[in-house]
Amino acid sequence: MTTMAQDTQPNKLTPAELAKREGLRARKHYVADKLAAITEMEERGEISPIIRLEKSYLCNFQCTHCSAEYYMDRHQKKVFKIKDARRKIDLDDIRELSRQADELGLARFVITGGEPLVMKDFDAVVEAIDPDKHYVITDTNGWFLDDAKARHLKSIGVEKVQLSLDSMIEADHDAFRNKPGSYKKVMRAIDASLNAGLNLLLSTVLIKGRAKSPEFLDMCRFATERNVGLYVSYAKPTGSCTEHPEFVIEKEDADILRELEKDYNVFTHMTPTYGSFKGCITVKGIITVTSTFEVTPCPYIDFSLGNLRETSLKEVLARGMRNPWLGPYRPDCIIGEDPKFIKLHTEKTRGVTHLPVPWGQGFSDTDTLTD
Amino acid sequence: MNLNELPPLFDEHGRCMPANLNAPALAQSRRYFGITTPQIDYAAIHARSTEHLGGSGILVDEFARRCENLMHALRADSRTHGISKGVAVPFLLPRAEHADYGEALSQRYIPAVAHAFAQAFPQYSFTDHNKNVMAGQLGIAPGSRHERLLQAMQQGPVVGCYFPCLSEYSLPAALERVQALPEQFLLAGGYDTSAALVGTPGLLQRTDGYPPLLWLAAVQAEKPLVGYYYEAYGYNLTFNRRPHFGQAAEYWNSGLTVLG
Ligand code: SF4
Repeated sequence: MTTMAQDTQPNKLTPAELAKREGLRARKHYVADKLAAITEMEERGEISPIIRLEKSYLCNFQCTHCSAEYYMDRHQKKVFKIKDARRKIDLDDIRELSRQADELGLARFVITGGEPLVMKDFDAVVEAIDPDKHYVITDTNGWFLDDAKARHLKSIGVEKVQLSLDSMIEADHDAFRNKPGSYKKVMRAIDASLNAGLNLLLSTVLIKGRAKSPEFLDMCRFATERNVGLYVSYAKPTGSCTEHPEFVIEKEDADILRELEKDYNVFTHMTPTYGSFKGCITVKGIITVTSTFEVTPCPYIDFSLGNLRETSLKEVLARGMRNPWLGPYRPDCIIGEDPKFIKLHTEKTRGVTHLPVPWGQGFSDTDTLTD
Repeated sequence: MNLNELPPLFDEHGRCMPANLNAPALAQSRRYFGITTPQIDYAAIHARSTEHLGGSGILVDEFARRCENLMHALRADSRTHGISKGVAVPFLLPRAEHADYGEALSQRYIPAVAHAFAQAFPQYSFTDHNKNVMAGQLGIAPGSRHERLLQAMQQGPVVGCYFPCLSEYSLPAALERVQALPEQFLLAGGYDTSAALVGTPGLLQRTDGYPPLLWLAAVQAEKPLVGYYYEAYGYNLTFNRRPHFGQAAEYWNSGLTVLG
């Protein structure tokens, strides 16, 4: 599961969005203040990345393009015949992460996985993050998201749901997700989320050529008509997609999407939002905390910036920002579009049984762009 | 010492090589972000400049001749020869005297780029994302030599070439570098970069890769460590402002201007 949308959308604030923001301020003014301060932080050179939290990789699906597949127990068992004995994060670790993040002014957590809604301790994880301190989002494939579940999520402090939809053609979505019936469940989850007053984002993966397809246009129309943002991520040559290099997009696909942004409620995390244009958001806009407390700069990059048991979040972020691949502003996707980085990443992750590759072996303080 | 014995200032791709800098610039470039060398059509550049920036009184032939002479002189000197191998964008600015740099940039030069772009590429768009009021806020970075362009504009129309060749430099490094270059090189700012884009509105359009962002490095913004720039977004063109924190990035270019 890999949705990594920013919580802003490209177009101007609509009255409905304004009302949502005011609603959040009334309920959680501390969180609203932190969110409002992000622009000023960026102006001072500070960063406020969204933290994607991968507490568990359990999943009831087996998607063709999953970026988390190589972190899953089932993959390690099937391919490497091993069991991951590394220490996993617990609720105390999450509390400590939440505390450090809050101290740095970070304001947003996305619970991801795996499929978060199969986690038995989902509610405890939300509590450990602390929804009064952080804006809490969950990714989901929608399978379990009915009206009751949506109302429950809202009641425990979840603000937003990012729901995966891979095709407007039911059979294609189900095939891509290897799960018959999943398209219908997504449609149900859309209604359930909206009815419960959750913010909703649809997320979809763009594979090569899809941007030109009538199906994709249908999805753009559908999202726009339902007044829901459609967040698009590019297929990357990592995770399950390593076996599908033909999925990886070209600049033309990205450029077609940039044009569609003008007419539809569709965007990527690289779309300019209210005048701010971050480009690739590695570290600056997003980090992933894996189940072993490693921090990666993007869900598709399997190189660690450090382990939070040994290194503070502050230092991990500083490492990322001084890395020449990750820190500087750039408009393209390094793991999806930069052939040199893709090659480096493929070589260093090939055959690795325990992802991510530790700090010093993938990324390090001696990295250069030209070696 | 014979000047011709001095080491070249530009590499074989036209990049101004960083030398003796205190501020950051990437020592080597892998040339990942680049501009496709535009076809130079003096008549078209002249026509666009006249339409969107105003008449200069300079005829196309004279414009072309002065640009060619300028390029010839750069080619003839072994130190500056390399710049002619890179991207060179001829531009034409009419006589003008502006009391306020920010106001002129926002009221005249950026709209001229917007119109030229819209006319050349009606299917794409120009967006000015900058929310900051520039009038009364901008100045000329000391040491940039950009004031010479303004002086020249006060005296009459200006012919010049814009070279986006300070690639992968921080803004302070671009400023430092220009001070060590021969006198004819000025750091590009708002008017000349805009004029280059008016004449060649597709400069940052690429289908096969990403072009760099173009800083207006000679412009001093209202706050230290903040700058203004043009940038492509797909096939569209944008103008914006952001903090740069004195850092270098592979994606960041500043430009030099030579007057002809
Ligand atoms: S490398 Fe950058 S642009 Fe690509 S998915 Fe990661 S954060 Fe996004």
